[in-house]
Amino acid sequence: MAETLYRPAIAQPPRFGQLFGRLVLAGAVAGALAGVFSLLVTERAIAPALALEEARAAADGAGHEPAEELFSRGEQLLGGFVGTLLAGVVVAVVFAAVYALIRHRLPGRTDFPRVVLLAAVGFGIFALLPALKIPANPPAVGDPATVGTRTAIYGAVLLCGLISAMLVSALVSYLRSREVGQAASAIAAVAATAVLLVVVFVLIPDNPDTIGSDVPATLVWNFRLASLGQLVVLWAALGLVGGWLIDRLTGSSVAKR
Amino acid sequence: MTSFPHAPSSTSQVRVAVPAWAWALALLALFALYLIAQDNGAVLSQFGDTAHEFFHDARHSLGMPCH
Repeated sequence: MAETLYRPAIAQPPRFGQLFGRLVLAGAVAGALAGVFSLLVTERAIAPALALEEARAAADGAGHEPAEELFSRGEQLLGGFVGTLLAGVVVAVVFAAVYALIRHRLPGRTDFPRVVLLAAVGFGIFALLPALKIPANPPAVGDPATVGTRTAIYGAVLLCGLISAMLVSALVSYLRSREVGQAASAIAAVAATAVLLVVVFVLIPDNPDTIGSDVPATLVWNFRLASLGQLVVLWAALGLVGGWLIDRLTGSSVAKR
Repeated sequence: MTSFPHAPSSTSQVRVAVPAWAWALALLALFALYLIAQDNGAVLSQFGDTAHEFFHDARHSLGMPCH
């Protein structure tokens, strides 16, 4: 009780601009780290896939000139890094608005566990769920005729993941308001998540493409693992760096004993 | 009712005001990501194709569908 005496009389939450700047910085760091991961790891699965595409083109039209490439491989590597960096910043811009909106409802006394939790949920919805339902494919796998269908499946998976997370958090809020215990709430939340995900997996159609017999299974496996690893780096860095930076801002206002 | 009977931290339960520009910027950022990631010349014909080729590796490795 005596601690209340040491707290400032009027507690001000952080301003949005302060959260925004720190999270966007964290997003840039996360995007850069994921970009480096992409150059070091994911590229090693992309290169053989591109070689496969070229071999196919050569076998296809021996008489034709090779298609004019808009960018050299070096420029595309740069584009891979820049694109991943930009993706980190974009994710952070949206993350900042959502975090500020629901910060007071997230569990945890300080900002660090809350930012990390929201980043973990974001990873689950926008990286892990699509990786399980419509896994990433290297070049040389996608059928151009089905790209519209595949994009629709991808978008539907993200949307269903988002809706599922909102339903589960609404369920948890409801249970907490009814004074249901923590363990029972957690079990109900996990069970509800499992049921919703099964519904998503069953109702949304699978990727219509078949992988060509000339594409080695290890190539596809390595690429999918690298792609998921890259997304782990992105979301983990966003959560940890963003949480750390915001904790430095708000940590001083938390009562310290 | 607070779940922290032992001294709630001073500001962590207080709502942060999210200005309208934050949502506008978030939408703009998502649209920009769509342009560099998915627009295969659908909205911006020439620039879309150019961006498609330049960001080709990023799109594949981030797990987005591609041709």
